[in-house]
Amino acid sequence: MFRLSLTVCGRTAAKRLASSFSGQSVLPPNLLLPPNLVDPARLKRPRPPADGSLPLLRKCDADVPAHLSPVQMWVETLESPDSEPLGLAELHPDVFAVPPRLDILHSVETWQRNFKRISHANTKVRAEVRGGGKKPWRQKGSGRARHGSIRSPLWRGGGVSHGPRGPTSYYYMLPMKVRVQGLKVALSSKTTQDYLHIVDSLNIPTPDSQFLLDLIRQRNWGESVLIVDVGEAFPENILQATANLKTVNVIPAVGLNVHSMLKHEAVVLTLDSVRFLEDKLLWHDERFTPLYPFKLPYCDL
Amino acid sequence: MANYCTFRAIVLHGALQLYRHSRTGPSVAAVRLVSNIVPEGKKAGILESTEEYKFVERLIPPSRVHTPPKHAGPAPSGWIPPSDSPPSLPYMIRRSRMHNIPVYTDLTNGSRKLTLIRKVEGDIWALENDVKQFLKEVTGKELPTQVNEVTMTLKVKGHYDMELKEWLAKKGF
Repeated sequence: MFRLSLTVCGRTAAKRLASSFSGQSVLPPNLLLPPNLVDPARLKRPRPPADGSLPLLRKCDADVPAHLSPVQMWVETLESPDSEPLGLAELHPDVFAVPPRLDILHSVETWQRNFKRISHANTKVRAEVRGGGKKPWRQKGSGRARHGSIRSPLWRGGGVSHGPRGPTSYYYMLPMKVRVQGLKVALSSKTTQDYLHIVDSLNIPTPDSQFLLDLIRQRNWGESVLIVDVGEAFPENILQATANLKTVNVIPAVGLNVHSMLKHEAVVLTLDSVRFLEDKLLWHDERFTPLYPFKLPYCDL
Repeated sequence: MANYCTFRAIVLHGALQLYRHSRTGPSVAAVRLVSNIVPEGKKAGILESTEEYKFVERLIPPSRVHTPPKHAGPAPSGWIPPSDSPPSLPYMIRRSRMHNIPVYTDLTNGSRKLTLIRKVEGDIWALENDVKQFLKEVTGKELPTQVNEVTMTLKVKGHYDMELKEWLAKKGF
């Protein structure tokens, strides 16, 4: 995703500006772009008709601010590789069109990698190495250097003076709102880069992995796809189809995280999961600071 | 106080005597206390009632900030509601989660005064020009400002939060 992060709206390559407000879109003259930056097959994807022939299947549940307009996406289906989109869905701009804060994405991704880390590297200090309590030879007169123990760090077989000490935990927590903003930024980045797809449900006709791969190949969704749905019950067909695939994975909506979204090129959401995510992520914009942990009951949670 | 205590003691003692006389008298069936009546054939069990839980439920706090009621103009506390339609300017300043204008003051190193405008969307440089012009009219000085395009915030040297809040509220943000 970072390789293709210069693509804006899936269109032609890099019209990024030095400052967002300098007016014209000018490429710097010394910019060297690799030729395979954008897959040309993705650009030539057939687009559905832009006129209003598709029905609006979903409106935003929460209020959209007056100065913003909802993001519109096509709702597709997984029934067959060349089926037409079913309709339009409107997505909330405060979840799917937030400004691209790459620094928040970086910090959330590093946190996700490191907060679970416990390094078990351990070395023995000179006091813990077996032996070395006796002075090897007398202090003066033997002609050799003076030593107090055979396990000092100077000696071969001695202890390590400043080595790793015991299981070390790298646990830390980023503020809840930063982690939530990271999810919103990741979803918005996928939307603007044309890597987000909305699907009505996860019903496939066959439990065949090749069917899914053909569908993804034909629609040019990308190399790897992350499929997100709400609830614990998934259709059997999609579970069997993705069980042996490494690049196509299904996760519940509660398991959506920035690392998975960055690892997979395309993200596919169902309409139910869009509703769930909007509900959960927008709540953080209007909640009080917690009096007691949110796991305990509040009257509207 | 001592009289009251002794009076209560006399009354209680009298009641106890009456009770004892009633129990031991020949007319036991006529004078029987209510607490001694046991329904025939059924033991009294524990009665569960969930209707009193409403007294607990009304104490549980909400998690969402409520939307303020509609005011025509400023509220009695001085709070000015945002205008219904956003002003037609190239920038937009959202309200905080408590529905206030996001202008804050900062004091560092004992004497370094800053005013911070957060939650800016749109053309932040146009906002910077307008703020500089407004503060020039108010104070007569060219104040240094700092624009952060990543976090979309604007810092102004000095404490001007009251003036900026009134100015933004009058604009309709």
